Amino acid sequence: MDVNSIRDAFDRVVKKQKLSYSKTQEAIDQFSQEISDSIEKIRSAHNSDSHSDYKTLLADLKTKIKEMAPLTLLEGSQKELNVALSKYPKLLEKSFNPDISKAYRNVDLDTATINYVIASHFYRQGLFDVGDCFVTEAMEPESIASIRSPYVEMYQILEAMKSRNLEPALKWATSNCSKLKANGSDLEVKLHRMQFVEILQRGNRDEALKYARSHLAPFASDHLVEIQKLMGCLLWAGRLEQSPYPDLLSAANWDKLAEELTRQSCSILGQSFESPLGVTIAAGIQALPPLLKFMNVMWGKKQEWQSMKQLPVPVELDDAFQFHSIFVCPVSKEQATDDNPPMLMPCGHVLCKQSIVKMSKNLSKSFKCPYCPTDIDSNLCKPLCF
Amino acid sequence: MDIDPLPNGTPAAAVAAAAAAAATNAPSSKLSQLTESLKLEHQFMRVPFEHYKKSIRANHRVVEKEVSAVVSAISDTADTTDVSGEDDAVDRLNSLVSRLQGLKRKLEEGSRTEHLQAQRSRARLDHLESADPENLSEWSNTRLKRILVDYMLRMSYYDTAAKLAESTNIQDLVDIDVFLEAKKVIDALQNKEVGPALAWCTENKSRLKKSKSILEFQLRLQEFVELVRADNSMRAIAYARKYLAPWGSTHMKELQHVMATLAFRSTTECATYKVLFELKQWDFLVDQFRQEFCRLYGMTFEPLLNIYLQAGLSALKTPFCTEDGCTKEDPLSQESFRKLAMPLPFSKQHHSKLVCYITKELMDTENPPLVLPNGYVYSTKALEEMAKKNNGKITCPRTNYGCDYSELVKAYIS
Ligand SMILES: [Zn+2]
Repeated sequence: MDVNSIRDAFDRVVKKQKLSYSKTQEAIDQFSQEISDSIEKIRSAHNSDSHSDYKTLLADLKTKIKEMAPLTLLEGSQKELNVALSKYPKLLEKSFNPDISKAYRNVDLDTATINYVIASHFYRQGLFDVGDCFVTEAMEPESIASIRSPYVEMYQILEAMKSRNLEPALKWATSNCSKLKANGSDLEVKLHRMQFVEILQRGNRDEALKYARSHLAPFASDHLVEIQKLMGCLLWAGRLEQSPYPDLLSAANWDKLAEELTRQSCSILGQSFESPLGVTIAAGIQALPPLLKFMNVMWGKKQEWQSMKQLPVPVELDDAFQFHSIFVCPVSKEQATDDNPPMLMPCGHVLCKQSIVKMSKNLSKSFKCPYCPTDIDSNLCKPLCF
Repeated sequence: MDIDPLPNGTPAAAVAAAAAAAATNAPSSKLSQLTESLKLEHQFMRVPFEHYKKSIRANHRVVEKEVSAVVSAISDTADTTDVSGEDDAVDRLNSLVSRLQGLKRKLEEGSRTEHLQAQRSRARLDHLESADPENLSEWSNTRLKRILVDYMLRMSYYDTAAKLAESTNIQDLVDIDVFLEAKKVIDALQNKEVGPALAWCTENKSRLKKSKSILEFQLRLQEFVELVRADNSMRAIAYARKYLAPWGSTHMKELQHVMATLAFRSTTECATYKVLFELKQWDFLVDQFRQEFCRLYGMTFEPLLNIYLQAGLSALKTPFCTEDGCTKEDPLSQESFRKLAMPLPFSKQHHSKLVCYITKELMDTENPPLVLPNGYVYSTKALEEMAKKNNGKITCPRTNYGCDYSELVKAYIS
């Protein structure tokens, strides 16, 4: 797709439209002028007692207008514009996929479920106003209330962090400390460290020391080196930028901390870090082009498409969308299943069971691995679990 | 174990199959992936253009109508005998001149609207051009919001549509004003009024005719049925003569069918006719209108969200999504997404992609899979880490099977 050629085509439309506009203006002016001229003539005839009376002049005007044919003028002004107007959508149809619903399966997607998914998306993205408006307009508020409140708390914490206030975050981390520990997260100590740096940078050495004693010391066993470094910073109270650790002041630390907090609170809420709606739509945008290509070729088999158990074409998504191990047998190209599991051969290569059964003539004799010259005894192959 | 697979892991035997797949499968580099995704944006470009075109045509029709009215007024003035003198003639002509002046003002106003609409088409081109393969996350966020606004508009959630567009400043990238035109008609139909729908048909007469739309006929039939329901036979017959008869040559059967209601009345128990009096006929009309409306503007009939959702759900749907260990990051770990995916096909992949159960990272040549004696496989990274922490001891997290790091073997996945 070439955006520039589309832009050129569109500019052409606009140019023709402007041209047509001025031609139309001209035609009206000309028309109007003829009438004004006649008015003038009638007036002067009246004043000068000339022979031509107004009736003749009106008839003259009628003839003149007939000759001028303002409607034909108008039509002419549109001609070139019409050509441009019908060309442009054709270019769009050629440059884009004119119907992305070709791979749509005609099933009822339950509206209530979609609305639930959308409302959850708004709340988890912190779009509370939009979410509330949507809930009022589209659903029963009770069905979604339990999703809203935990995110309200999360965004209050994040908002406070934006204005460099760590109190709500610390309070939350303390009350969830055992869950954080179970997740293997050291968010709590990271928050305390940040608070310590903030106090120190305000130049308040005594207060910083006090804070370290009561809030950092309990983490000493796991974070000794880190805490030693922080204590060293006490020498640079109020001028940390000159200390050996100026990166402690980097604004990026706040972003990282906010992200870690979001990740941990989503996890504790039993939710994913990324919006599942966002993930699914992004996957759909990657999956649709190959599906549409297939449907364009197989348009006659639309009926079959409605009942297929598996997509007819492979759709490779980015690694970010890979949530499960998929083993595809390199020989049969089939996906492994419980009945046809991947098997590790003694040489280290892996094939699906059915391929091994075939190559070993029903497990009756040895065969050569297709990837290395090793002779394989099918009895020595073992099923794998990824 | 000493020979690695070919660099791309494709044995000669499977080349043919892979080639067939490559013909349909998009190349996966970032740039071409982006180009492919931009090609999905037909509606995004088409709708504002159709809107623009519609204004141009409407403005032109106004000019034609006014000019031809003035032309015939001149004719009349010249031909009639009741112009009472020079003054009257001048008065009449003067009023025509000011009528043309008024038309010029109208034309200028119309031109301003057209200009704004052209700007919108340009804003969309700029937006497409601004998609940068190296930094797509903001662009993709906007795309998701555009898709959501489209959903709101199609489902008649207009307040949410407006709020979402406003809060993220994407008014030029969504078609709220276009849908407000539909809203008028839909609201009226829901109130059992066909007037605005008929007016819309007249406005778009030539295009509807081109696509062989029978929406107007359907609206007329409904109006006729309403007259029968009100027991107003005389008016119903007069109405049918005027508005239904012209459709007779092409739609005689439907016409006769509905005329028969005159005999059966609205209280009929006869199923064929009873259905014509049901209130859901009005919902049917709303649907019909929506379809015609989408066709006219070059939109898909389905909301964009539903189209992308289906494709995405299918691409993500694997038999493993319903297993216990399914990660929360997989949308299909959630009940609502599973429900939506139920009637859809499973994904298909042509190459193995293995995700470490422990780290959730992809296992590849950099981080190859290691096999425990019990057949369970984890990534080298995860197992090395585990061995480091536990003096070389490995415990399978799924079976509690214990072994030594030295007992692990490498698996070669092609
Ligand atoms: Zn081998």
